[in-house]
Amino acid sequence: MSEKNDHSNCQCNDSNCAGEVDEVELRRQFLHKISTITMGTMTLALFPATAGDGSDGETAGGADLAGGNPADKESRPVYGFLVDTEKCIGAGKCLTACRVENNVPEGNYRTWVERYIHFKDGTVQVDLVPEEGFAGSNMPKVDPESVDRSYFVPKLCNHCEDAPCNQVCPVPASYKSPEGFELIDTDQCVGCSYCVQACPYGVRFINHDTGAADKCTWCYHRVMRDEQPACVEACPVGARLFGRVDDPESEISKRIAKIPTQVLKEHLGTGPKVRYVGISEEVT
Amino acid sequence: MNWIRAFVRDTRHLWTLLFLVVASGAGFLFVRSKMIPESFGQYGPYRATAMTDLAALPSRFQADATCLECHEDVGEERAEAVHITVRCVHCHGLGEEHIVQARKAAESSDVSIDPASDWDGDFMTKIDLYITKDRATCLACHESVVGMPEDFQKIDVAEHLEEMGAGEPEDPETCFECHGGHDTAP
Amino acid sequence: MPETSFVFPNDPHVPWSIMIVLYPYITGLVAGAFVVSALYHVFHQEVLKPVASLALVTALCFCAFATLPLLLHLHHPERAFYIMFMPSFTSAMSGFGFIYNFYILLLLVEVWLVFRPTIVERASTHSGISGVIYRVLALGVREISDRSRALDQWLIRALAIIGIPAACVLHGYVGFLFGAVKANPWWSTALMPVIFLVSAIVSGIAALILLYLFFSWRRGVKPDADCVRSLSRYLWGSLIVAFSLEMLELIHMAYESSAEWHVLSTLLTEHLAFSYGVVQVLIGSVVPFFLLMIATRPKLPPWMMNALSGLAGILLLVQVFAMRWNVVVGGQIFSKSFRGFVEFPLHWGGREGLVAAGIILVLPLVALWGASKLLPLWQTSES
Repeated sequence: MSEKNDHSNCQCNDSNCAGEVDEVELRRQFLHKISTITMGTMTLALFPATAGDGSDGETAGGADLAGGNPADKESRPVYGFLVDTEKCIGAGKCLTACRVENNVPEGNYRTWVERYIHFKDGTVQVDLVPEEGFAGSNMPKVDPESVDRSYFVPKLCNHCEDAPCNQVCPVPASYKSPEGFELIDTDQCVGCSYCVQACPYGVRFINHDTGAADKCTWCYHRVMRDEQPACVEACPVGARLFGRVDDPESEISKRIAKIPTQVLKEHLGTGPKVRYVGISEEVT
Repeated sequence: MNWIRAFVRDTRHLWTLLFLVVASGAGFLFVRSKMIPESFGQYGPYRATAMTDLAALPSRFQADATCLECHEDVGEERAEAVHITVRCVHCHGLGEEHIVQARKAAESSDVSIDPASDWDGDFMTKIDLYITKDRATCLACHESVVGMPEDFQKIDVAEHLEEMGAGEPEDPETCFECHGGHDTAP
Repeated sequence: MPETSFVFPNDPHVPWSIMIVLYPYITGLVAGAFVVSALYHVFHQEVLKPVASLALVTALCFCAFATLPLLLHLHHPERAFYIMFMPSFTSAMSGFGFIYNFYILLLLVEVWLVFRPTIVERASTHSGISGVIYRVLALGVREISDRSRALDQWLIRALAIIGIPAACVLHGYVGFLFGAVKANPWWSTALMPVIFLVSAIVSGIAALILLYLFFSWRRGVKPDADCVRSLSRYLWGSLIVAFSLEMLELIHMAYESSAEWHVLSTLLTEHLAFSYGVVQVLIGSVVPFFLLMIATRPKLPPWMMNALSGLAGILLLVQVFAMRWNVVVGGQIFSKSFRGFVEFPLHWGGREGLVAAGIILVLPLVALWGASKLLPLWQTSES
């Protein structure tokens, strides 16, 4: 299973810790299964007419990105996202692309880029990359001589395996699509903001145009028609990589197999699916 | 049978109460049955058509393939360029209107395509096509900023221009004089 | 660890307003007042008889308005019922509709059974509008036999017994809503439901002391000294437990000093210094502790006991409000980047403004005043 592969890859690639991770992973999957079964039973009890009838789903899409019948567990694609902070130049092309693509209101962010500067004196400075990039912005300049190392960290929804935002949603507004996308049904959202509180990564917000919770969808609509997410499409340096991690031949699978990657706030057990290359522990 | 009559009499208020509770419960279930969306529960406890709605959203950020449908020549020009990773829309804008017009024009000769306009600098609102040779376009990525990877081509403009002995450093088209456009050389 | 401030760009929009401070405050008053009525109905604390009916009706009046702050807060209040039509069973919040409805139904039935003799009697004797109200409330049953009365008494006790765990669930659930958010280190503790519950009891008893003193004064009757003393003792006891738990939680956090402690300590020392240190701890807990210590002394003259208990009651109502404030506001003004703070927005006007909040707090009292006109809240005590 690529998912397991995915997890045993975090930080350590040596075989010593693989067993331990596997065990944790198995336990997590088991618990997940139990909760799914319990939920399914409850749903069945309450909605006998509708639950369990998942035989005739259809989705558009070709062979590369999209594909598989969501109702058929075997053929469901598994997606992953890889952010390479060693490549990101902080130009902000992804930010405008996302805003345009998804009509994100001013002041809210489906994705953003942070800059981490580790100074020689041991201090760390974090700031937000302006949407037009640093060029032309009036952000104060940093003296390169004082900097030990620095890098940009793009942020977006992690589409967590066990998403706490989904867990807390009291209505059927937060759901996981059969392809593993964590999505929002704007028509069902009551706007209670509990999911905004529950997300450890700060990716959710209330969209005041719709009065509903909003966040990055990994451009579900594009992926379903075999296109790359807008931010990935827009990145001129390949710092964002999206693809099927169930396919060992995909670029993302090959990269993940080769380089050590990390996820954010791993200790919270949310199972984030955005993997990072080259971040240090200061990155929250 | 007196005790039955007595029992009914003594508990009549409770039966009335029970009736009210059951009636409101039934009312609730009735309203609920009307409120549940049809596709609810198809894949899980959510509205399955929500996904279809979402998947139907248009793709606004255009990949180069869209542009190359007509501008094949540019495709050839750029084939070997370092900047092949830079999308058409980064320098030319989204051009949503332009694409609509071009697609119509391809079908009917009555439709003409508006000429490209100058850049107003706003990628967000500008959906008409623009052509720019403004050096801001280059510097948006290349201006040296703390945080960039070591191996990325960073430019300190003043320094670079002086080094190269550029004639008119203030000219917005300075970059293009040496580096070309579509076929940018390093 | 962090040297410079950085907040996640979505975090400046604080999602939960003062309405979410009010909601646990009001449900806390409900749970607390109910516990007092249960002390009489279930645990046979005869000394509390004078306030037993008042406690029950107070619980109902506050319960009736408990959803109002939530509805004002929701961005789509018209979809509020979705929470019961299609509840998501993984969500703690989806339990709200069921718990709340069960509880308010229980309160309604219990109040109705307690006051049914009066309602039935007045349905025949009163005319005009009040007569109509009583006849509607009588639900068309206009006679009471001894046997039906005995049955009702039995039911009242049964409902009161069910009501105790229900009140605990109603309010423990509110604490759980915060305590189970693992993304938020200021909230995420298993002690949260317990602290909410105990402080709810504090606020409920404090409110009842004040209401009892107020109504007695309005009616020109001397408040029952034993009852006030007993209430004060319960108040003192629950204050001690509540305050100990609150401090225990804080000390535990500080002693454990986990990764996020740096942001929590800044939160406490800089952002909540006044509302936590001064209001919740000093004025709201330490001062009432001593006031109640004196007030509960048996030899104290009643007027002095009433004054001290009343003052402690006011301070404790403020304390519990501050506790809710510090949880709800404190948990939202630090960014989940753990590197910076944001402003908590307060406005006078608007759906979620201070004026609306003030009105919400007054409405249950207006309802209580109306109920006191309609139902004989004191009959049981003076008959």
